[in-house]
Amino acid sequence: MATSVQRWWHKLVWPWSPLSEREASEAIVRNLWLHWFPAKVSGRSMSWSYSLWLGTVAASLFVILTVTGVMLMFFYVPSTERAYGSIKDLQYAVSFGRILRNQHRWAAEGMVALVFIHMARVFFTGAYRGARVLNWLVGVALLLLTLMLSFTGYLLPWDQLAYWAITVGTNIASEAPVLGPTFKYLLLGGHFVGQQTLLRFYVLHVFFLPAVVWILFAYHMWRVRKDGGLAAIEPLRAMRRAEPKEMPRSKSYSLFGLTPGTSVAVMSSMGLEERDQVASSPNLTRRMILVFLVVFNITLLLSLLVNAPLEGPANPSVTPNPAKAPWYFVWLQELVASTTVHLGKVTISGGLVGGILVPGVLLAALILWPFFDRSTVSAEGVWFARERTRQNVVFAVITVAIIILIIVGMYLRGPYWRLYWPWSPRPVLPRVL
Amino acid sequence: MPGRPEQSFEREDFAWLVVMSLVFFALVAIALWREYATPWRPWQRQFKLTLAHAGRFDDARKFHLGIRQIWNPELGLVDRCVSCHLGFEWGGILPATLPQPLTPHPAPAFMAHHPFERFGCTTCHAGQGWATTAYGAHEGGEGWEEPMLSKQLAESCGLSEGELIQMRCNYCHRRDVSTDGMDSINLAKKLIKKKKCLICHTIEGQGGHTAPDLTYEGDKNPELFDFSHVTGPKTVFNWHVEHFISAGKIAPGTAMPDFNLPPEQARALALLMLSWRRINYPPQYIPQPAAQSAPSPAPTASAPQTASPAH
Repeated sequence: MATSVQRWWHKLVWPWSPLSEREASEAIVRNLWLHWFPAKVSGRSMSWSYSLWLGTVAASLFVILTVTGVMLMFFYVPSTERAYGSIKDLQYAVSFGRILRNQHRWAAEGMVALVFIHMARVFFTGAYRGARVLNWLVGVALLLLTLMLSFTGYLLPWDQLAYWAITVGTNIASEAPVLGPTFKYLLLGGHFVGQQTLLRFYVLHVFFLPAVVWILFAYHMWRVRKDGGLAAIEPLRAMRRAEPKEMPRSKSYSLFGLTPGTSVAVMSSMGLEERDQVASSPNLTRRMILVFLVVFNITLLLSLLVNAPLEGPANPSVTPNPAKAPWYFVWLQELVASTTVHLGKVTISGGLVGGILVPGVLLAALILWPFFDRSTVSAEGVWFARERTRQNVVFAVITVAIIILIIVGMYLRGPYWRLYWPWSPRPVLPRVL
Repeated sequence: MPGRPEQSFEREDFAWLVVMSLVFFALVAIALWREYATPWRPWQRQFKLTLAHAGRFDDARKFHLGIRQIWNPELGLVDRCVSCHLGFEWGGILPATLPQPLTPHPAPAFMAHHPFERFGCTTCHAGQGWATTAYGAHEGGEGWEEPMLSKQLAESCGLSEGELIQMRCNYCHRRDVSTDGMDSINLAKKLIKKKKCLICHTIEGQGGHTAPDLTYEGDKNPELFDFSHVTGPKTVFNWHVEHFISAGKIAPGTAMPDFNLPPEQARALALLMLSWRRINYPPQYIPQPAAQSAPSPAPTASAPQTASPAH
């Protein structure tokens, strides 16, 4: 039964199946879409438990975002007069408009989270060591770009939530010494969030940032291959290298007498053996399609169940109480608020601590960490290697602290930025009628 | 660490691939169904039948199902209320006893001065014109600042629905001395003169400077009001009502005298305060004093054509 279902399935959706190893390798090399895969991939890199496929999940989200984003561009008008109305049209009148926007929104929120979780995986498996340090740096850049993509997209609906989140976010940025105010002015195209800001954020969001992300993403993938695949193979590679190898028999003389033996032994770039690997086609491609399908289904399900937030139209004269930055920046807002000190009539702003010092130090740490990591090869490509326990604890503690600050900022901060337990009543804010 | 045979990947992934594909098709089917099962569709079907029952077979035949809207770029107006409120301009043809949302507009004489195609629905009734769901249209959802001026909302203010709507009439009729059908606002305008508010307050550039400028009082952020002495609901409307009755109680130390106005006068003045907003309607929407008493044309019995399909 199972085999006949499988056969029919193959006939329907999988019209071609490689008959030999060679055919499978050629399929990968010759195909435009597949050529960035190696012809063969190690079983360990393919496992669910090592990578959790988080990078593929993040990339799948980015593909969904690109496709839904291009479709949204057909309807969205980046002007302060019409932006909000065009989102309302999407929500109420355009066929599948609501689901399209929901999917774009949830995929975007998901991508911010997933890119970070992917980075955490790389950290906990010590996968940034050695040659992979460059790809780690590319990854850090991709994380920052993802945050910027999400932040620029946040403004586009031009509702109260968008307007004030961007106002709060750019105010935090302006706390940077010397360059802060200039950076804010450059980003906003003025001193306040307005038409210039909307246009700048739009261009950054739909063209500049996605283009950079696509280029860096391609480079990120290429580096994975250049570095010999996922770090998961490193323990195996070390094992294979240690195994004594028989030199191939040859009639030739030694190469100019410089190399020992009678032949030049060339190791495969991966340093693995046939038995450690499987053909990328169809094993890797099938699993990638599966991951993409799962991600697509989750975003679609979420889009059917939960609507993307949309509040009243942006109103510069009415500040929501409280006004909050987007969730991935709300921990900074929380830091700014909790480090602001009132001494009598004098207020010392926490902007420098929460807006600049903490994020600056954390970013510097992310960039420099691999260069100070003294762990050995045996800690590479292994989850929670004992040798790296101290490093992993530091990373985990900082991550948990950020998550706690996000939860406090998002769920416990109520009107007048006071703390409320979820079950405690919050003051009723005055209305017009 | 032995290698894994290829078959193991196929075995592991194939079943999941089938399951996920089926889930995908199911979700797409749900999305399609949700797109089709819109709340306005049953009302439109019923309206088509209603037209046929009223003997308007030709109109029923020409009636196509779809989102309908009154679009007026002059006011930035997109009112899709008429996707459900389909009988709005069929007064005189369809019975006034039709249940909501198919009921014809109850004031055809008033509408003769304020044609649907120019004023739409939300200009007077507020609410969210973009919406195609009852909740979205009437309540607006989170953070929506202009909910529909419904009977319930009016009752919570101690007013009738008609009285509450007068607040929005005055957006255009602000400079009228007196306007037909705007009794509450007319009363408030008289009181402003009688109580000599301009001695202390500035209104549109005229008056004294010892009290706050009231020109755009209706735009003031609710959080700028001090509610600590207000006993009723925490609304700007109620703040004004209680303040007009006893200014000294609501704002201790104020120079404004306690007028001890009867509640209906205080409510009328509160409505007037909320109507004073910075609303930039085009000049042709602001009535000329001479045009106020123009006779209203009689409603016609031909099939109305105001609402256009949205697609």
